[in-house]
Amino acid sequence: MKNKIGVYICQCGSNISDYVDVVKVKDAALKVNGVHLAKTTMFACADSTQQEIANDIKEQKLDAIVIASCSPKLHLFTFRNVAIQAGLNPYNYVQVNIREQGSWAHSDNKPKATEKAIQLVLGGIARVKHSKELDMIKIHSENAVAVVGAGVAGMRAALELAEMGSVVHLIEREYFVGGRASQWNVLFTTNETGQQVVSRLYNQIITHPKVTLYTATNIVSKKGSVGDFTLTLKTKPRYINPECKLDLKKFQLAIDKCPIEVNDEFNFGITKRKAIFKNYDSEFPEIPAIDYDACNKCGECAKLCDDIDLNQQPHETTINVGAVLLSTGFNPYEPPVGEFGYGEVDNVITLQQFKRLIELSPEKLIYKGKEIKNIAYIYCVGSRQVDGDNKYCSRYCCTSVIHTAILVKNKYKGIQNFHFNRGIRTYGKQEKLYHEASEQGDIFLQSFEDAPTQVEKVGNETIVKIKDILTANEELEMSANLVVLVTGMVPRENADIVNLLKVPIGRDKFFNEIHPKLRPVETVIDGVLISGACQAPLNITESVKSALAAASKANSLISKGEIELEPTMAMVYNDKCTWCGKCSAACPYDAISIKEYNGKQIAQITEALCKGCGMCLPVCPENAIDLIGYTDKEMESMIEALIS
Amino acid sequence: MIKSEEYDVLVIGGGISGAEASINLANQGFKVLIVEKDLSVGGKMIHLSKVFPTLDCSACITTPKISQTARHPNITIYTYSQVNDIEKKSEHNFQAIVTRYPRYVKEEDCTGCQICEEKCPVVVNDQYQYDLVGRKAVYVPFSIANPRVAAIDIENCSFCGACEKACPSEAIDFSQEKIDIQINVKSVVIATGFRLFDPLLIPRYGFGKYKNVITAMQMERQLVPTRPFNHVLRPKDGKMPDKIAYVLCAGSRDETIGNPICSQVCCMYSVKQAQLLMGALPLADITIYYLNIRSFGKGFNEFYQQAKDMGVNFIKGKIGKITETDNGNLLLRYEDIIEGVVKEAKHDLVVLSVGILANQGISSMFKDTLELDPFNYIKQSDELANPAKTTIRGVYVAGTASGPMDIPDSILSAGAASAEIAGYLRLRR
Amino acid sequence: MENTDNPKILVFSTEKISDPAIDLAGLLKKHYPATVYTVNVPCSSGIKPKWILHAFDKGFAGVFIAADGTDCAFSDTCSEKTSEIVTQTHEIMKARNMDPARLKMAAICSVCAESFVKHVSTFHAYLLGKQEN
Repeated sequence: MKNKIGVYICQCGSNISDYVDVVKVKDAALKVNGVHLAKTTMFACADSTQQEIANDIKEQKLDAIVIASCSPKLHLFTFRNVAIQAGLNPYNYVQVNIREQGSWAHSDNKPKATEKAIQLVLGGIARVKHSKELDMIKIHSENAVAVVGAGVAGMRAALELAEMGSVVHLIEREYFVGGRASQWNVLFTTNETGQQVVSRLYNQIITHPKVTLYTATNIVSKKGSVGDFTLTLKTKPRYINPECKLDLKKFQLAIDKCPIEVNDEFNFGITKRKAIFKNYDSEFPEIPAIDYDACNKCGECAKLCDDIDLNQQPHETTINVGAVLLSTGFNPYEPPVGEFGYGEVDNVITLQQFKRLIELSPEKLIYKGKEIKNIAYIYCVGSRQVDGDNKYCSRYCCTSVIHTAILVKNKYKGIQNFHFNRGIRTYGKQEKLYHEASEQGDIFLQSFEDAPTQVEKVGNETIVKIKDILTANEELEMSANLVVLVTGMVPRENADIVNLLKVPIGRDKFFNEIHPKLRPVETVIDGVLISGACQAPLNITESVKSALAAASKANSLISKGEIELEPTMAMVYNDKCTWCGKCSAACPYDAISIKEYNGKQIAQITEALCKGCGMCLPVCPENAIDLIGYTDKEMESMIEALIS
Repeated sequence: MIKSEEYDVLVIGGGISGAEASINLANQGFKVLIVEKDLSVGGKMIHLSKVFPTLDCSACITTPKISQTARHPNITIYTYSQVNDIEKKSEHNFQAIVTRYPRYVKEEDCTGCQICEEKCPVVVNDQYQYDLVGRKAVYVPFSIANPRVAAIDIENCSFCGACEKACPSEAIDFSQEKIDIQINVKSVVIATGFRLFDPLLIPRYGFGKYKNVITAMQMERQLVPTRPFNHVLRPKDGKMPDKIAYVLCAGSRDETIGNPICSQVCCMYSVKQAQLLMGALPLADITIYYLNIRSFGKGFNEFYQQAKDMGVNFIKGKIGKITETDNGNLLLRYEDIIEGVVKEAKHDLVVLSVGILANQGISSMFKDTLELDPFNYIKQSDELANPAKTTIRGVYVAGTASGPMDIPDSILSAGAASAEIAGYLRLRR
Repeated sequence: MENTDNPKILVFSTEKISDPAIDLAGLLKKHYPATVYTVNVPCSSGIKPKWILHAFDKGFAGVFIAADGTDCAFSDTCSEKTSEIVTQTHEIMKARNMDPARLKMAAICSVCAESFVKHVSTFHAYLLGKQEN
């Protein structure tokens, strides 16, 4: 039992002390047997306070400390380090959360908040009294990373990780790499095309000895945890001999012959493609693919081209990695039929379709046989929804559409752009584009959410109506040749990943980080990192920044060859155990086996396998198992103190 | 003879971006020198109250990071110092001069007890409280400064010697002189941050003339846990304001003052301050005059919506002129864009949501040509694939030195910079 | 300190899933009764019935298990196992003539702040009603 305990009550500036009487809490702590000193402090996390705590530990020979401050999710490690530096075992430290679960949760009732804080601190003291000195468990970590999604973010992360010395498995669900960026032409930032950026990265990746690229591949199962994940990958056949010498003419014949037509997703469905396809000439990998899900195996193409092999089968690969870095990207929001005339009025398309249309229309801008002169852009479709679920702003669309509008005007003659927006958000330097669009004569009209823009078919015309707040709420209308819905971002299908890896998703359905400022690329699942637009809407530069930051974190996590893990694990009281096998059956990690002990059979915990979940505890009929750090003594004395 | 020192990386600027980049690099085993021109590391962030959109207290995020930086065995910090004459001799070989200015206080002896402050007879404006209150000529910069040691503001010092007599650890030393150190490094990170727009440049807002027109940074200081008044007060008469106006885009999106771009953070910090004020002054009316609300980041639009639901008024309007009326109250003349008419509104406190600008003089630290973008930020030479690269190979940029950014973006940018630098350094290893 | 008209509730939260949600409730200043005390464990399927009964013995009016649910990172059997713990404890409670409704469980995801507040507030109101009767 600890009997020289130091207790520190943090005011957190005023975040705690505005609602909790910290002096009362301190006085209550001082009365507890075994508490040697108790203090209040402005910021427990400040460097000077950390120093003070360390000095107290050393000078007053404290054998345990309790810090009552914010959630341990923020500063558990900060204070554990203080303990370590002062020579105290970090597990003789307990953090009590009197901010998130104290002052803030009960800011409506100061006396009760104080009372609760006192009880929580008493609970913390009771727990620390029974705490034991523990050492971190070291496990092996594989210096290999699975990067999921070979868009710009994923490729950039893969490259950086490989450069840092990790083995990289770059896993792409589609037949070709490049993700969304390959679908865009000239990009706003540098005037490079998306395809150029993709080529640049691909060429570096494919020549890097440490990167293995898997296309048309999904993760189908996962075992293990941080440091040692085993992933099974399933690759669809490409039906084309990988060693083939690329004869584009032959392939063109095969493409012409193919009887299957499907929506061309590369062009967001505004065109059709065959089952055998390649989206653009310089696309990577160089060899075309036959769409496994669409092909009917008629064999016509194989007659024309020896390199086609319809007997290829899906195959599985097993890889072992220390960490998983997700960069699965986004989908454009798909408007339901009828939203701003989408799917009902024939000249309503999305921004992404429009960008492809420009790419496919060299001389004149023609859609469904008609030349386009007047374009109405309707902003915030699928973003900032009043009734729908997507309350968020998709961040990239204002800049993207204005950039596109400028391109269109430069590329074709006589274009007039009308922007039906909800407040232009060209943040930062992107503002210059907004300026440029205004200078070139684009018309900007704005509405509020309570009076949305309307699109109607009237006779042969498509009429767009707005109550424009920029002209004193006047009702304005125009006849548009083309209506472009500026659709925002939603996460790309991620249900399988969520299922396999248990990555948390936020209110906006994107992957959620631990903390936007402290741990922006990490998730609560150890060893699973996130980057790019799967986390939140981001533009390319922003995605690349987060990808590099994630690569850096992944590397520092696994590259040392071992990872330190919490010593929280099950322990068996040998004398009590009578081996019934229930604990072993309950363990999801096969960490419990039988051993002989004093002439009887008992349970034995394999340290490297135990993850400390505690599932074996409640099933034991003899109460012969405890979880280190959560022993009956610790739990029960804490429960008692909470209600004392 | 001039002293010389060697490190792997020189990080210029000890704000949140510099700290984040340094920690990442130091954790990978690189030796890092941070040179900070101010008396304390922590940059702008350490002075903020709570940060959007999570309303975490800023100090709670900054201080541990700063503390981690300060204690890291691979990181050396020189505060109150400046870098000059950075010269690239060859790949992975940069030479520079670091000048350490005297604090006139021995850093290693000072305990930060502040007894000297009590004795010092000189009072001047406290720049760390954005001139809201005074400080002494000898002073600990602010309560959570790092290092938390005193310095003497020699320009304002009367040389009475009171501090020297009072100091219990004999840390006052008037004989200190500036020291030049030659440093050799393999790579450089520019994390010099931004400066705030000076609203004196827009005379029609009356800043500097009317006391109750303040900047958002002054409001920020009134809202922090370590706030000077322990309450939100009007500077002119110390009254609690109850009709507060925010003027957005003060110094941003404005060709006439030479800054055509958007500062990216003012909308959000104003929305945040409005929410905090609703808590601090439950009876006050808060109006935000805006052109567009740019709540674009993760959770930002929801945060903006939350402010509206809490009852913050948002008026789409352009401010013409601010004049003082009775009792220090202020009259705002503005164009109500929605109604298309010019209106007037009375407020008792006006907060200018000042924008952020590029720091000057960064490129002149380098002997080689370090290119800037059209807005005087450090030019990113391969923004799409290597966002931290500058026009000098081996020199990288992190955080707002390359353009306006909020804190999450700055931290990611610093993460990217550290990854790119590590790549560059490994080429040599 | 004993306050008969203010029932105390012990919450078992889980470190990675439900405790973050409870923190979030505080962060968003979503209020709930201040007599709700949280202790956290790695996983809700590792709670011993013994601890729950101990809490009742010592005077807690209610125990609420903020379970991992299907988000559990340890095992997809978590929900099932946590339910089993609750069922078992309910049996013991019935045998001891205790109202089984004093032990409640619900899955609380890592951002389910609202749902947590609702659950504990309703539970608190129920326990309060019980006391008055």
